[in-house]
Amino acid sequence: MRSLCSRRLRAGRTFCGGNMIAIQTKDVDIGQLINTAKQRGAGAIVVFDGIVRDDDIQEMELEAYEEVAVKELEKIAEEAKTLHNLCSVDIIHRIGRLAVGENILIIVVSAGHRREAYEGSRFIIEAIKAGVPIWKKELTKDGGRWVPGEHVHGSGKPIR
Amino acid sequence: MWRFKEREEEEEMTVKVRFFARFRELFGTDIVTDAAPGTSFIDLIKKIAEKNREGYEAIFDTNGAFREFVILMKNGKRIDCTDAGKTLINDGDEIAVFPPVAGG
Repeated sequence: MRSLCSRRLRAGRTFCGGNMIAIQTKDVDIGQLINTAKQRGAGAIVVFDGIVRDDDIQEMELEAYEEVAVKELEKIAEEAKTLHNLCSVDIIHRIGRLAVGENILIIVVSAGHRREAYEGSRFIIEAIKAGVPIWKKELTKDGGRWVPGEHVHGSGKPIR
Repeated sequence: MWRFKEREEEEEMTVKVRFFARFRELFGTDIVTDAAPGTSFIDLIKKIAEKNREGYEAIFDTNGAFREFVILMKNGKRIDCTDAGKTLINDGDEIAVFPPVAGG
């Protein structure tokens, strides 16, 4: 079930059919995203909220290859909608300096039933981890350390 | 003769090279550089990396090949490391070189 909302484009983000795909420094109102996800045909909403873990760090710094990362997030959202029959998908990935406990990645999906919503959400987070050009650096009192990626794919082909 | 030289200069290409994460710290954010026609992806990056020993060793192995974890992009599309020698650079290209991603 697709919303009839018109498509509007803003810098670094896309609104399409009630969906929001963005890479941004500021936080987002998850409650508002949930309300927007309550579309006709939706019977389940799954929220994934990845936050900065307290691993004896002071802050976390995130950076992205923004132009490419936004396009890849849009592609992942469309794939997830098609594969898991989702009504709506929101993906907001934050960049910049974040303190322990702050939101890093918020994924909100709605679907007709729980199975599709859970599986769609899982598909999106795994696809982001596998290939979207975003990096994290843990800032500690002794300096900083880049978080190693989970996937080695210098072959140019992201592992899905 | 001067006309010939002018033509040569016209053929020189301008390319933007972007490094991210640890590679950005080693090389800088965006590098705009000239490249001669026929320059391959790997030749271009080697030309930049050779000025920085630590950076070179982070990206290239002892045989001068890209390290297996290095990810390459040309105009937003991934390029296989093994194709970097035969992928030619064009005027106006945006090249990106980065380590494995760690978002989410």
